[in-house]
Amino acid sequence: MTDISIVVQAEGFDPGAEYNALRRENTSDGATAIFVGNVRDFSPAISATTAPDSSSSGSAVAVMELEHYPGMAESALDAIAREAAERWPLGRVRVIHRYGRLAAGDEIVFVGITSAHRQAALDACAFIMDFLKSRAPFWKKELTAGGSAGQWVEAKKSDESALQKW
Amino acid sequence: MIKVLFFAGLREQLDCDSLEVEAGGVSTLGELREVLSSKGDTWRVALANERLQMACNQELSHGDAAVRDGDEVAFFPPVTGG
Repeated sequence: MTDISIVVQAEGFDPGAEYNALRRENTSDGATAIFVGNVRDFSPAISATTAPDSSSSGSAVAVMELEHYPGMAESALDAIAREAAERWPLGRVRVIHRYGRLAAGDEIVFVGITSAHRQAALDACAFIMDFLKSRAPFWKKELTAGGSAGQWVEAKKSDESALQKW
Repeated sequence: MIKVLFFAGLREQLDCDSLEVEAGGVSTLGELREVLSSKGDTWRVALANERLQMACNQELSHGDAAVRDGDEVAFFPPVTGG
């Protein structure tokens, strides 16, 4: 029986602490696979103009706003994790996805898998990320200098076609 | 009543995050979409986008899917999380 844990939260998380939790009292699983997604500094022109003169007392400038569908976000991630647990023999599955305003470098998503075997952990981790990208209701908006308007990120066709390999 | 939610770029385009639609006369998601499209030009144009995704009771769904009184329906652009 796979131990599945799904969290959707505004707060940050500590990938090291998450790894430790996956390993705690878990000697049956010899493999741990972890994926962490971080906010990319995708708009160099914008961050170059906003970062140096930020008046927010040195705190990071938000470059992204992540919107989500409360309730469905959790259930979609849970369904994806359960599908992975049916396909591979997994010990623990932990998925964390953040929402709200994020700065460049911030962690957005965490997928951690433990299994008795390496290939199952690696495959399940990739599977969950591929389906999360196309099935979980989150939307990214890149914020512009001044933080007023912003631009919604377009979904990539390559994300949808990535599902076909599974 | 059917509760309808809009997210992300679609929510901004419509300047509306949720509303309620009388369930009478609406039996599928596609019909609900037509009812919403008749609310005006902005709605007709926004909801004509073929890439929009639909969910019924928080599960991805399609235009032929049945919808009934008390359901929660959502329309949104293709997701971009992760």
